Amino acid sequence: MNNEQARFLLRAYRPGGRDAGDAAFSEALQQAQADPALGAWFEGQQAFDAAVAARLQAVTPPPGLREAILTGARLSRAEPRTWWRSAGWLAMAASLAVIASVVATYRVWRPGPAQAELAQIADFALTEPAVAHDAGPHADHLGAFGAWLQNPAIRITSDPPVDLAQLKAQGCRAVNIAGHEVFEVCFNRNGGWYHLYLARRSDFAPAQSPAGPVFREQGQRATVAWTDQECAYVLMARGGADALRRIL
Amino acid sequence: MGSDTFTQLVDANYASLYRFALSLARNQADACDLTQQTFYIWATKGQMLRDAAKAKSWLFTTLYREFLRGRRRGGRITALDDLPPGEADPPAPAIDLVAAMDAGVVVAALQEVDEVFRAPLTLFYLEELSYHEIAEALDVPVGTVMSRLSRGKAQLRTILAQREATARGNVVSFSAQKLRQTP
Repeated sequence: MNNEQARFLLRAYRPGGRDAGDAAFSEALQQAQADPALGAWFEGQQAFDAAVAARLQAVTPPPGLREAILTGARLSRAEPRTWWRSAGWLAMAASLAVIASVVATYRVWRPGPAQAELAQIADFALTEPAVAHDAGPHADHLGAFGAWLQNPAIRITSDPPVDLAQLKAQGCRAVNIAGHEVFEVCFNRNGGWYHLYLARRSDFAPAQSPAGPVFREQGQRATVAWTDQECAYVLMARGGADALRRIL
Repeated sequence: MGSDTFTQLVDANYASLYRFALSLARNQADACDLTQQTFYIWATKGQMLRDAAKAKSWLFTTLYREFLRGRRRGGRITALDDLPPGEADPPAPAIDLVAAMDAGVVVAALQEVDEVFRAPLTLFYLEELSYHEIAEALDVPVGTVMSRLSRGKAQLRTILAQREATARGNVVSFSAQKLRQTP
């Protein structure tokens, strides 16, 4: 091994790295110990690397990122696909197939009111041509809730500080869907527009409203619906389901 | 995976993943998105991973692939053929000056390194993955990782040296101006 080959390997050597003991580095390290010029060069490399690594480790994630990750993941685990893919649930699902088909048949001719209402909000969001752009204040005119909606570090599903009465007082657009008052707020995240529809949780039968996100897509539009203790939400974006997942 | 185990996984990895994402995406908002998206994918798919010891490597790999996926949507990725040949050992700033630099300055310099070198270089400095894991995450051979690392380091040294020289120039200029204003 000549010194150029040794340098190539030593540039990649990390004293604290998981492969510091790798045999590939041993010969180059021995050569650096035996050759003063190579040793001095290696010492300079190590000092530079240590300084850069320390600066990089000093970068701290923005406040709220950890909580946003945990909340988003908790909701995603509630999605049906996360459980029906597991082997145990697959076995159970197979044994329940007949029952499920009966239920599905029943739902075709008589949909449950709560599920239907959530679906109707999503239908509206997927097909309404104007949405709220020209009909009500955008998020930047909605005070703390508007700022929260537009904060890129916050997951949209992480306990929104929403007050529907206040939204109404602020002139937020409200539409009537299946007899329920639904508010519509436009907000911008990272250059993309989103439209959030909010309704009272009590307007939906708890037993039939899914807590976790339910996605739908139609053309360029996609919606995701979920509920918490106070509200039912439908979020719409034109960038497909990926655009929604980025802020869930 | 239980909720506590998932929380431990997040606590052990989210800061390093965010640093990696920040070096790739070059802004805080996109870095947050990438980090969150990575754990979202874990929550929906990663639980199928049988070897828990590979979770860290899986997370870094997934984040990098999500970054590439987003880049493909936004425009073309820099190809190696587009890049000028790297210098072997360009002048580096004094070590004590690098140590005295703000973390943001060093990260900004890292973000200026060509994208194809930036990913292996950042993973090198984060010291979370072995070379074989870095190679797997970037989907290139180990030798390519080392080669890109070498060229990435050369670029980083040049950028930091330029920043140091610029900063020194500004100080001289400012001092001279102040002296002229002194009666």
